[in-house]
Amino acid sequence: MRQILHVIEYDFRNFFRYRWFIIALLAMNFADLFISAIVFSQMTRGVVDYFRFFAPGLAVIGLFASAFMIGREVNMEVRREVHHYLLSLPMTRTELAIGRVLAGGLRGMLYMTPLLITNFALLGLPTLPELLVILLALFLLAVGISGVSISIAVSTTSFEKFVTARGVVYYMFFFCSSVFYPMAIIQTLETRGLAPLVRFAEINPLTNGSDLIRSFLLGSPVFSPLMLLDVAIFCAIFSLLATFAYAKILMRR
Amino acid sequence: MFMRYKFMLIMRGIWFVSQVALFGLVVGKMVEAAATAAGINYFQYYVAGVTIITLYSTSMFIGYDIFEEAEHGVFEYLLTLPVSRRELVLGRSIGGGLRSFIYVGPLLIIVLMLLGLSNPLHFLVALSGLFLFAFGVSGMSITIAVAMKSGDKYDILIGVLDALIVRLSTTMYPTIYLQQAMPAYATIANFNPLTYASDLFRWGTGVEGTLQFTPLIGLLALFVFFFSFTFVGVVFYERRLEGGSWQ
Repeated sequence: MRQILHVIEYDFRNFFRYRWFIIALLAMNFADLFISAIVFSQMTRGVVDYFRFFAPGLAVIGLFASAFMIGREVNMEVRREVHHYLLSLPMTRTELAIGRVLAGGLRGMLYMTPLLITNFALLGLPTLPELLVILLALFLLAVGISGVSISIAVSTTSFEKFVTARGVVYYMFFFCSSVFYPMAIIQTLETRGLAPLVRFAEINPLTNGSDLIRSFLLGSPVFSPLMLLDVAIFCAIFSLLATFAYAKILMRR
Repeated sequence: MFMRYKFMLIMRGIWFVSQVALFGLVVGKMVEAAATAAGINYFQYYVAGVTIITLYSTSMFIGYDIFEEAEHGVFEYLLTLPVSRRELVLGRSIGGGLRSFIYVGPLLIIVLMLLGLSNPLHFLVALSGLFLFAFGVSGMSITIAVAMKSGDKYDILIGVLDALIVRLSTTMYPTIYLQQAMPAYATIANFNPLTYASDLFRWGTGVEGTLQFTPLIGLLALFVFFFSFTFVGVVFYERRLEGGSWQ
């Protein structure tokens, strides 16, 4: 356990090296909320209160982007062969891998905190049990995202290929989810022959994560334990995959 | 040099497709009533806007080259060439704009197939405006790049600038809604080159029948943008080259 904490500390130190990048990312997130969302609210009057609808989605976007940052570092380490040093440390490969996946998730949680607080300030506070469920869901989501990111990062030594794969994953997860628009509107795409995209949006953990926050802060959609289950399954699959891939693939290089 | 960014270009392509095929379609449904009231087809409106955002972001790439050159000692080589510094900056600004057109060209053809072309003459006028816009953005990118010492800081500033300049323009939504959201947003958008480029492009392709400004004013605004940043770029670039201050 202590070794895992050391790995987490190592990744947090790295995270704060990018503080200006993080500030820029936050500025972009807030520009999305306080410019785009306000304008779209005017355009969606009578359909949805877009500003209030989008705020929880924004917290999930921020969580996704920051939890994904660990992959960039892991890929850089693979390219510069820093992993040899990491593998020489007095800890098991599994501890190292678990530490990296957890650190990625925790960094996502840290980055997302101001966005979540903004949500509470704008939409109202949840009850304590609701808050705990929100935090649990977001933590599971962050760890799962970190897992996806690490799995991609260790699969290639090319930074460009990693960036391209990251782009595909980003856009699929963002645009095929209810982060930006209500699920009911996405479902209208079925009539245009885009049923697979609608199915993906329904099981997308970003959909379930943002809808879970909305269910407590906005009262719609109604909370379902399946939302939490969806995020938990995503987390279990990708954190295990990343731990396995990190431990095994690094040894082969 | 531009082709070295092939993965970045692929990324932009993926971004464009997902913006159009997913975001554009779904948001189009969400804002259907408002778009009808404003007399626009939102999907077409958005596709035109995304084209301008893509042109803007690819024109900004030139700034990254400036940092690469400083890092690898290419600046010294450039200074030995038998061209004046003014010619060098002007050439880079225009080159940056032209190469972004090479990239956006295929996307532009797809967009024209989606939007149609009602008046070729209008389109040619709009296209000349887009050239001025792309050259101006390259000039702006060079100006910012030479004013900064660190490539990382440049990257961050460009990210923040990108977030503000795109959102405070009519690339994604009509001015009337910016005005309703906050009059200050609409005021800023009225001075934003992305507003002029996207509105002119929509007028050129027939997506919008009328403009809030005449095409001549639009072209003039883009010319002023191009001229100012190329001029400022020349001054900054010349100063930076003096005495090796880029090192």
